[in-house]
Amino acid sequence: MTTDTNTDTDTVESVDPGLGRVSRLRGAVFRYVTFVASLVGVASLGVLLAYVFWDALGMDSAQPGWYAGFFLLVVAPFVGFVLRARTDAVAGEVALELFATVAGGIQGGFALVVVLDVIAGVDVWLSYFLTTIGPAVAVYLYGRLNRAASWTGLGILATGLLGPVAGTLLIGRIDVVVSGVGAPGIYLLTVTLPAALGVGLLVDRNEDLGDGRWATLALFALGVAGVLAADAVPGVSRSVWQLFVASFAAPTGYVVARNLADQERWSGLAGPGALVVGAGVLLLVDGPLGLVGPSPWFDWQFLTSPPSLTDPSTAGVYAPIVGSVFVIVLVAVFTLFLGVGAALYLEEYAGSSGLRGAVARLVRINISNLAGVPSVVYGLLGLAVFARLIGTGIGTVLTAALTLSLLILPIVIISAREAIAAVPDSQRRASYGMGATRWQTVRNVVLPRSLPGIMTGTILALGRAIGETAPLLMIGVPAFRRDEPTGLFTRTGALPRQVFTWADNPNPEFQYGVLAAGVVTLLVVLLTMNSIAILIRNKYERGDV
Amino acid sequence: MAKENTEVDAERETRTERTRAGDPTDTAPDQLISTDPGREGVAEQDDEPSGATETVIEAHGLDVYYGETRALDDVTIEIPSNRVTAMIGPSGCGKSTFLRCINRMNDLIDVARVEGDLLFDGVDVYADDVDPVALRRHVGMVFQHPNPFPKSIYDNVAYGLRVQGDTDDLDGRVEQALRRAALWEEVSDRLDDSALDLSGGQQQRLCIARAIAVDPAVILMDEPASALDPIATSKIEDLIDELAESYTVVIVTHNMQQAARISDRTAVFLTGGELVEVGPTREIFEDPEEDRVEDYITGKFG
Repeated sequence: MTTDTNTDTDTVESVDPGLGRVSRLRGAVFRYVTFVASLVGVASLGVLLAYVFWDALGMDSAQPGWYAGFFLLVVAPFVGFVLRARTDAVAGEVALELFATVAGGIQGGFALVVVLDVIAGVDVWLSYFLTTIGPAVAVYLYGRLNRAASWTGLGILATGLLGPVAGTLLIGRIDVVVSGVGAPGIYLLTVTLPAALGVGLLVDRNEDLGDGRWATLALFALGVAGVLAADAVPGVSRSVWQLFVASFAAPTGYVVARNLADQERWSGLAGPGALVVGAGVLLLVDGPLGLVGPSPWFDWQFLTSPPSLTDPSTAGVYAPIVGSVFVIVLVAVFTLFLGVGAALYLEEYAGSSGLRGAVARLVRINISNLAGVPSVVYGLLGLAVFARLIGTGIGTVLTAALTLSLLILPIVIISAREAIAAVPDSQRRASYGMGATRWQTVRNVVLPRSLPGIMTGTILALGRAIGETAPLLMIGVPAFRRDEPTGLFTRTGALPRQVFTWADNPNPEFQYGVLAAGVVTLLVVLLTMNSIAILIRNKYERGDV
Repeated sequence: MAKENTEVDAERETRTERTRAGDPTDTAPDQLISTDPGREGVAEQDDEPSGATETVIEAHGLDVYYGETRALDDVTIEIPSNRVTAMIGPSGCGKSTFLRCINRMNDLIDVARVEGDLLFDGVDVYADDVDPVALRRHVGMVFQHPNPFPKSIYDNVAYGLRVQGDTDDLDGRVEQALRRAALWEEVSDRLDDSALDLSGGQQQRLCIARAIAVDPAVILMDEPASALDPIATSKIEDLIDELAESYTVVIVTHNMQQAARISDRTAVFLTGGELVEVGPTREIFEDPEEDRVEDYITGKFG
């Protein structure tokens, strides 16, 4: 080998024999083995996804001409954008931000409708808004504006404790208001208006965007005027419209406007823009040109109809979606408080020496073990302890929520502990050195700094909980239920449980079409949650949050 | 109020140029509200630190152990008020440990154990009825690496006042602290910007402003300039000079020239946590009593 080098480079007078090539054979082999391994993983996942989406969207009924148009108008621009995004990091980031906002906004709107309008009802919402949420937000804003007010923390705490009590008493006594203003009006004032004001504040803070009052006004006008449009669409009530303006139109409008204001980020808008325009053109021209497109199972009718075991064409996932959203919202509340609490204790309060340290070590080790316990075992625990012993009922919303909370609690605790441990010790020392108590340090320094990491971990864990099936089977969630749950103690359907039921149906249209559409619904929810988690993490790593 | 402060600030700017020795008219025009009875009446400055001030911190036979390891060995020292006292010595000699004893930051280390007496204003800081949190409100600390919170500049300076629930005239006191830390001119128009956008030297001055905002009696500094460039370092040194007019400053440094430049008294720690010699800085550097100290200062070891 040294002779090789010598002949190649004549200018080198004398090469030390010790400077020749060193064998890298084993390293090269290892490198290619790892490459093939990751390729196999990605490829098999891709095949699975393509297969499910193909069935769910009914792609085989489309004509070749439609495919030509599809590739020309949608796939080609999109692939071009993806290739460009590889060299342009900002473009990919903007696309992710847009995707997370749009998808998160739509699904957040669904969740909002389910929680506020279907489950709670407008009277309950108004009671708690007036007694708890409104006052707490008002006190918080007052504290932000008046820096000297040191009582706001206690004020919010008091509102959080006393507000729900007052709110519960208020339910039923404000029927006059509810019937007078009407549900859409109440949502307009309590949801759409605050969202519009929030966007206005954000716009005001952003120097490139001009006056926030116009943004607030525009969103409020959209809430009021859009009612006419909403009336024309079946399945969209005026209340639903208000909630979607708040959860979808407000954040999406803000994100689009902010990206439009910054010229460096325009390239990122090209991809999503091309996708929307391409799909729009395709929808417009396929009728006149006589192109037969796909006949998807996964459509608006699928999302808004109750499930069926006999008629594939009318089967939907509305009731199971409501059940899953109800359960997952409860799981989020339980795990966030319990998980963050436990993680804070283990990281900040439990010492490392003495008896308390030993107990804390034992707890830490066991939490790591619990994260690996099979989910079916948690289902058994839920059945024995919650459903039977405590008596929350077989297959009820509360039983499902408690069981799934236990299932993901270890994951939430572990990720929250990692986020808390990642707060630099120098920050804690700075706070203690200023004469802050431990609580003040946790409250002012540790929690704000670790919150993005905690949120990321919790969202990923919730994504796992929403797709879990085995525990639901164990606690007796019904295989099929047409009605959405109305309270904590009603039996509920759930999305993964419904998918499992359809898989057993002998009718091939159920086995391929409806089942695939149900799976796609689950996947879309999961992908959205994960992209939001990634978005939060990216912003956190850059220090934006 | 703002106008008056600007004048005071301008005066300080010019004063910083002069050396402290040649400034007999210096009578601290910007005296802060005093919470510490021990500092009353110590307004006039005197370059010769020869008993003109009171002792604010006293250690008698102080030992510190980290588990089995002895970090401080029978340290006895008196630290006078309104002076800069420097702690020098090789790495691992216990000078930072001693500093952390004064505001009980060693309490945060599980294995640390302190024996002996350490008095702050005549009170044993390790007595049962002394709350370390209350103690730290009188003894501020500045760390080796600038560690501002990821909050706005304003919120950083206001942090100590807020955790103490002392929020009267917050704006004025934040401004005053920033002026005293010679940072006001640079940040007055962007108090709501993140503190992390400041340069390293500005961040360290912000940390000093944060420490003095609560008007402590003593400021402990643990190698405050070792992570900074020479220009930022000289600004910090000027600032320490200023601070000694109103505060007692105890500074740990690796840099012997720095100790010689800024301190009135110097304590030399050597390996094993032993306090070998303490005295007026000039004597320590020009004519130390101990041969080991001379060897260390002249660079024969350490």
